[in-house]
Amino acid sequence: MINFEEELNRFAPIPDVSQAEEAIYSNDLRDISDIVAQITSEIKDAQSGIQHSMAGRIRR
Amino acid sequence: MATKKPVLCPHCGAQVMKNGYCSACYMPLAIIRKAYNTSNYYYNIGYDKAVARDLSGAVESLNMLLRYNKKNVMTRNLLGLIYYEMGEVVTALSHWVMSSNYMPNNNIATRYIKALKQDPTQLDSVDQIARKFNMALTYAHNGDLDLSIIQLKTILKDNPHFVKGYLLLALLNIETNHYENARKTLRRVLKIDKANPVAIRYLHKMGDSDENIIRMRMESVENDGLFDEEYMNQVSVTVDGDTLIDGKNEKRVNRHLPSSRVATVKAGEFDVANFARYSGVYVLIGLVLGILIFAFIIMPFKEKRSRIDNSELIQSYSEELASKNSQIQALNMEIQALNDQLNNQIASPTDGVSMPDYSQVEHGMSIEDVQDMIDNE
Repeated sequence: MINFEEELNRFAPIPDVSQAEEAIYSNDLRDISDIVAQITSEIKDAQSGIQHSMAGRIRR
Repeated sequence: MATKKPVLCPHCGAQVMKNGYCSACYMPLAIIRKAYNTSNYYYNIGYDKAVARDLSGAVESLNMLLRYNKKNVMTRNLLGLIYYEMGEVVTALSHWVMSSNYMPNNNIATRYIKALKQDPTQLDSVDQIARKFNMALTYAHNGDLDLSIIQLKTILKDNPHFVKGYLLLALLNIETNHYENARKTLRRVLKIDKANPVAIRYLHKMGDSDENIIRMRMESVENDGLFDEEYMNQVSVTVDGDTLIDGKNEKRVNRHLPSSRVATVKAGEFDVANFARYSGVYVLIGLVLGILIFAFIIMPFKEKRSRIDNSELIQSYSEELASKNSQIQALNMEIQALNDQLNNQIASPTDGVSMPDYSQVEHGMSIEDVQDMIDNE
C-alpha cells in the first residue's frame, strides 16, 4: 500500500507571485557550455601557472 | 572572390580560430555543436510528448535539454506553456522571463508575459491558489486531512488544471479510504497529463490494471461529480471540538472515548454551498418578498400619510372660511348701520345744523368778501 508520509514528503510547496524572482534565479542552471568553459579556464590557469614556474626556473 | 564569413563562438560570441577553439574562451566548437544537436534531439522528443499530452514526459525531456543548452529559447517557451497548462503559472512565468532575457526581440514569451501582466485578476488568482495549496500541504503535514481536502477542492474549482493539487487530493482520499474519489481525481489528472507517473503509480497501488488506466483516459470527466457532490463523508467530532476523520482514527479514538462524548455530523455542512444552482429561485423569492413588502407596509403607510395631509388641509380651509364669514357678517352689519344713518340724514337734513345763506353771493366777489359775509352771518 502507499506510504502516506513518504508520498506527502514528495510534494513541495509551489512559489507564489512574490517568490517569482526567486523561482527565476533557481531556474538558471549550468549547461554543458558552462562546464566546458569552467574546465577550459581551469586548464588555462594551470598552463599559465606552469609557464610562469618554467620561466622562473629558466631565469635562475 | 567571396569572403568567408567568420565562425562565431555560440558561448561568448568571439571569433573561432582555425583549430576549432574560440579565440576568447577557448571553448572547443565541436563540443558545443554536439551539445546543441543533442538539445535539438531532446526538443523534438519533448515537443512530440507535449503534442501527445504526455506533459510530465515532455517536462522531463525539456529539462534534460536545458542541461545541454540552457539558452534554447523555444524550449523555455514550451516549458512555460506546459507548466501553465498544469496550473503552475509562476514556474511558467519564470521560464518565459528567462526566454525573453535570452532573446528580447521577436519572442513569443514577451507576449505571454505581457498578457499575464495585463490581467491583475488572474495574477491575484494565481497567487491565491499557490498560497492555498501551500496551506493545504501544511494541513496535511499536521494531520488535518479534512481541512486539507476542503482547501484543495476550493483550489481545484478555481483552477481545474492544477495537476499537483489533484495529486495531493488523490493521496488524501486514498489515506482516508475514499478510493472512488481518488480514482475520479486521478482520472482528471490523466485527462490533463496522460502519462503522469505519480497518478499511474497511485492507480496501480489501488489495484487498477493497465487496461483500466487506459480506459480511464478515454472516459469523460465532465459529469464525474467530483465537485458537484458535497463533501458528505462522515466525520466524528468529540465534545471537546476535536475533529476525527472516519476510518482508522475514528476507531482508535472511539476506544478511548465513551460513545456519549462522540457525536457524528455531516462534514458537508462545512462545505461551500452552491448558490448558483438556485439563483433563479432566489430571484423569484426576492421579487415576491419585494411585492409583499410594498403592498402591506409601504402602500398602507403612504395612504395613511395622504389621508392625514388631506384632513389637515380641509381643517385649515374650513377655519379660513369661518373667519371670512365672520368678517363678511361684521361688514354687512357696518353697512346696515351706515345705511340707517344715511336714511336718518335724508329724513331730517337741517336737524341741529345751520347752513350758510349763499343767496347773497355775487359773481366776482373775492374770497375775503365771502369770508366777511360768512363771519357777519
